[in-house]
Amino acid sequence: MTRSHAAKPGSRGGAGPRIRLQGAGRRYGLRGPWVLRGIDLEVPAGALLRIDGVNGSGKSTLLRLLAGLDAPSEGRVTGRPRTAYVPERFPARLPFTAEGYLIHLGRVHGLSREAAARGAAGWMERFGAGEHLRTPLSELSKGSSQKVAVSQALLAAPDLLLLDEAWTGLDAAARAELDGAVLERRAAGCSVVFVDHDPRRLAGLSDATYTVAGGALRRCAGAPAAPSVGIVALAPPGTDPAAGPPTAPFPVAPGPSGAVRLTVPATDSDAVLRDLLTTRPAWHVVSVTPLPTPADTAPRTGGPRVPAPPDATAAPDSCAAPVRPVPPPAAPVRPAPPPAAPPPASAPHAGPPPGTPSRVSGSADGGTA
Amino acid sequence: MSALLHYHLALLVRSQRWLPPVLLYAVFLCVGIRSGQPVLDSLGFASACVLPVAAWLVHICVTNEPSAARNCVAAPAGSARAHLACLLVAFCTAVLLGTVAALLVTAISEPASSDHQVPVPRPAAGFAGLLAMLACALLGTAVGALTSRPLLRSTGRAVPALVLAVFLALVLAGSPAREALTDMVTGSQDGAVRIPLLPCATGAAAALAATAVACALTSRRD
Repeated sequence: MTRSHAAKPGSRGGAGPRIRLQGAGRRYGLRGPWVLRGIDLEVPAGALLRIDGVNGSGKSTLLRLLAGLDAPSEGRVTGRPRTAYVPERFPARLPFTAEGYLIHLGRVHGLSREAAARGAAGWMERFGAGEHLRTPLSELSKGSSQKVAVSQALLAAPDLLLLDEAWTGLDAAARAELDGAVLERRAAGCSVVFVDHDPRRLAGLSDATYTVAGGALRRCAGAPAAPSVGIVALAPPGTDPAAGPPTAPFPVAPGPSGAVRLTVPATDSDAVLRDLLTTRPAWHVVSVTPLPTPADTAPRTGGPRVPAPPDATAAPDSCAAPVRPVPPPAAPVRPAPPPAAPPPASAPHAGPPPGTPSRVSGSADGGTA
Repeated sequence: MSALLHYHLALLVRSQRWLPPVLLYAVFLCVGIRSGQPVLDSLGFASACVLPVAAWLVHICVTNEPSAARNCVAAPAGSARAHLACLLVAFCTAVLLGTVAALLVTAISEPASSDHQVPVPRPAAGFAGLLAMLACALLGTAVGALTSRPLLRSTGRAVPALVLAVFLALVLAGSPAREALTDMVTGSQDGAVRIPLLPCATGAAAALAATAVACALTSRRD
């Protein structure tokens, strides 16, 4: 039972699935009823998978199988990436301070003590609980303990992140931070599998949605492609705009008045903006606009695609929690609101008219820009 | 593994749940041992008392975390390794306690047989006592591992089973602990030190088997 604990960053688009369930089933006790049975699931590197299902349907058991907390009663689990797990309710009944606990957990995740201490401070700060680092866990509020639970999972940059309703109990700002952190980890090649009761959670960003019902796992048809964002940026004076921006190879088109127009998946917009603004000399970002249609013109470079199981080609079935569907051409519920990330008033509005509900991704405002 | 051991040791120390078994052991020693008593008898008594203490410490260590916290550790480390770390911390604590007691008892006891006639060399007696203590700690760890999570998950079953198993491990013929104690007592009677190597080996085998069973079952029964 040897594991690699080296904290090396995952590489995006690694070959093969991170972890795979083959005919996996789980029941508690030798003669207990099957909670899950015949589960086939591949989690590719860099995939963001959502698991839906009613209470008690076995969502948590599925995550426990993926985390290696439960061994399958039948079938197989292959692959054991560096895994981090966030439980729904993190109990405060531990005799540590938040910082002490996170340092212990960071070391269990394979970090050095110093790196664990830095990560603990950084993540708690990011979730707005920096002042609670020295607080004993037993004195933390429910939300603050949940921030500790989320921090322990993120601080060692795992390759497989399992979130069992991890957002429950977090305040709005921390929920947005967690959205952003999840997308950052995914952009770094980490596979993320999450359960959440809010259907809007990371809506439209997941690579696939699965529903657990009756002990079986079904892939919801019509999992939408990730939405795209158009970024119009102006090259710094003295540089050649034709050389292109210092970002990953996303489709680039000449924009208005000498600017460059980039089409990027919404999940990568933070990284692209960061690249544009931190390069020296910095680029000037003229506008950021959500694009109305799924980005079939902008395939995600090297991005993983979840291999479609046989039933994925079936007609769209009734998923318990609807993921955001592609907006119908008919009048949407909210007709033409202003874009959530308004371009500067003086900027030429290069994006298409906002004829669809605006949906700037969680990454556009949830990251650490 | 060292991170896991650190974590569980810190958990044991800071939870202060180590206090009752350690106090119990101290009380046992205070009641049962006087300076000037025959060394092998006293060492046998000190060793025997390590067995329940080790089993109790195992029970404390494997139940010291709420299950959500256990899952947070088991996901990166593996549930079997996390459980192994609990058992190792409990075993090492029991051995530390037993070693201190054995050295103390060797120092304050009379180096002679039970009838005070035959001299018994202190170093040999101390070494035999350490091995007897080790056999008891190993068997206590095995008892603790088999009578607590993940095999017996409710306290209502685990604690009576633990008490019964400790009693049987001390009195049942063929038990490594009983063999080791018999070596000490007969050695004290005739003044010839018997080194309880075989009980140590069988105790180690029992502890290994129990540990393997418990660790293998953590992801199946928890």
